[in-house]
Amino acid sequence: MPALVKNLEIVDDPWTLIDSSDKGDPAPGEGSILPFEHWTSRAHATTETRVRSLRSPGVGFWVDGEVDVERVRDHLDGASLVAVKFPAFADGRGLSLGVLLRSRCGFTGELRAFGDILPDLAQYLHRSGFDAFVVEDHRAAEVAIASIQSITDHYQASVLQPQPAFRRIRAGG
Amino acid sequence: MYQYQDFDQRFIDERVEQYREQTERYLRGELTDEQFLQLRLRNGLYIQRLAPMLRVAIPYGTLSSRQLRALAGISRRYDKGYGHLSTRQNMQFNWPELESVPDILGDLAKVQMHAIQTSGSCIRNVTTDQFAGVADDESVDARPYCEIIRQWSSQHPEFDWLPRKFKIALNGAASDRAAIHVHDIGIRVERDTSGNMTFDFLVGGGLGRTPAIASVIRRGLPEPHLLTYLEAILRIYNRHGRRDNKYKARVKILVRAMTPEVFAERVDQEWACLKDGPSTLTAAELDHVKACFAPPGYPDRDDQTALLAEQRLKSPDFNNWVRNNVSGHKVAGYAIATLSTKYPGVPSGDVSDAQMEAVADWADEFGFGEIRISHEQNFVLPDVAQENLHALWQRAGEMALATPNAGLLTDIVCCPGGDYCSLANAKSIPIAQAIQQRYDDYDYLHDLGPIDLNISGCMNACGHHHVGHIGILGVDKKGAEFYQVSLGGDAGSDASLGRIIGPSFARDDVPRVIEQILDVYVSRRIEEEPFLSCFRRIGVQPFKERVYAGAR
Repeated sequence: MPALVKNLEIVDDPWTLIDSSDKGDPAPGEGSILPFEHWTSRAHATTETRVRSLRSPGVGFWVDGEVDVERVRDHLDGASLVAVKFPAFADGRGLSLGVLLRSRCGFTGELRAFGDILPDLAQYLHRSGFDAFVVEDHRAAEVAIASIQSITDHYQASVLQPQPAFRRIRAGG
Repeated sequence: MYQYQDFDQRFIDERVEQYREQTERYLRGELTDEQFLQLRLRNGLYIQRLAPMLRVAIPYGTLSSRQLRALAGISRRYDKGYGHLSTRQNMQFNWPELESVPDILGDLAKVQMHAIQTSGSCIRNVTTDQFAGVADDESVDARPYCEIIRQWSSQHPEFDWLPRKFKIALNGAASDRAAIHVHDIGIRVERDTSGNMTFDFLVGGGLGRTPAIASVIRRGLPEPHLLTYLEAILRIYNRHGRRDNKYKARVKILVRAMTPEVFAERVDQEWACLKDGPSTLTAAELDHVKACFAPPGYPDRDDQTALLAEQRLKSPDFNNWVRNNVSGHKVAGYAIATLSTKYPGVPSGDVSDAQMEAVADWADEFGFGEIRISHEQNFVLPDVAQENLHALWQRAGEMALATPNAGLLTDIVCCPGGDYCSLANAKSIPIAQAIQQRYDDYDYLHDLGPIDLNISGCMNACGHHHVGHIGILGVDKKGAEFYQVSLGGDAGSDASLGRIIGPSFARDDVPRVIEQILDVYVSRRIEEEPFLSCFRRIGVQPFKERVYAGAR
């Protein structure tokens, strides 16, 4: 059973991912992660639904890791969660997308990775702005958390630590 | 040399333990072969034809005598008593056990070494001029920038899962010994008229299946912006590089598809958002890293012109060695010595534990304890007092490291090929050996002058055949090993890619073909004209006619 890690803890997942082929509920409620296309058509719907969606804190959408950040940027209003799908764990496009969503678009909601997430990818996700990710099972979640904690500090700046080591460490020698 | 502080040491120590845990998970069956492949590659471990191969990083080809002794010890303890100097200034071990790799990494960490990102689709070991810091034609020592890039690229959160491998080379000298035109990114470091350091960025060069000469996308970038500009390039590549076909995934394909002008614009747009951000280098950081590479306190010496002339007159062999293997040093009274690994019967770049220890001893005795590895797969001692050259030459001769052929035909750059590598289409080592055995007359070799002969066992071009003045590529023809010959490649400042002369040859034919090529050169050259200049003047046709004469 897939396991969700949020802020380095294994937690129950309150969200439901809606598949893009899923016609489903025309107005999904709290806790739905809509496909990006559904999300954008929804955001461009009537003023009434748009206002309602802005008021409700618990709706989000998901995108493929390859999507251009410029396409997503204008649709972040009202999303309390953005999920990025990794088609293969060795596909690092989602990492750049995560960095851009945080640093360029200022997205502050939950940023979640899902798809083919090898526990060993977690350290990169964690540092690229993802505060949540879904792995294969509970054991993988434990390995992922340990893997994040296995390296105390890194050289470069990241979303997690915006100051590179040389600005923090060298000063003190 | 760069000295690790607590921060650096903790990072590589923790990285060793991280890899140990990954290996254990694999051995317990918790990782599939495919998953573990990606993890082990990011720590330099390949599974080859006969055994695993571990590629140890020698950052920008510089190491200390202590580190070289440690490598000798590792080769004895975990391997068969030898290592292999690669064409990217690294050292490879061909016979380690997969299970013992974490222990090897642990031993490496004790001497401030690692195997981080020596393979896999990530930023690889940064390379530079093997004579950096001592070359008499150098304007800027590029090694501090190499070290800054090494640190920045180590487990980068965003750029460790790129479409394909990514190689960066820097050069700060008049001659380009770092081959910056055939790297994913080549950086030319210069000092401007006010004494400030600047960088020219070349992007999209490379060898492999689709060889390409890099395009300049930025000139005169000021020193503090090195990392933010690199970040911009890598982000464009990571986002837009192709991932559907591994043969079209290198940045050179993206640069070509976008055109260099558009690629440069995209990078500039991205850089505008990153410029002056926290990754901008501080004066304190630049000073700190540069201080690590400050020249040693050279005791005052005079040039030993008279002594060397006398020694050279007495011994033609020493004369040959000085002529080819000794290069000018920026400090009077000193010289740079290249210790060639190209010895008849020995694969290019293979060095025994005893040779490694001997080189480490000479580095201490005749220098300041520092050794370089060249991308031509030789050792270099950077700081030899001229009066000690003769003694060094004698010792090196006893250890089969004084072949006077640096830069000559038999200083062959050669990948491990089909004897070891599972990617190879054909063996490369026997070709190199056949040529080395045939041309053992140094007077003739000197008469031929500088010729880069590069051999790769497959399209991946680890032997850099595209940029050999003579390039040989192993190909598979219906299950048989054949060899394609190209001429006119060069990795220097005026870089060019070789031209294939025609249909490929059987292995036994290759020495004959080389001989005919050399015959054409010798008969057509004007006075002292080197092979490459002669080829550029007369073109491929005369060579073709000779080599394929009588063939239909």
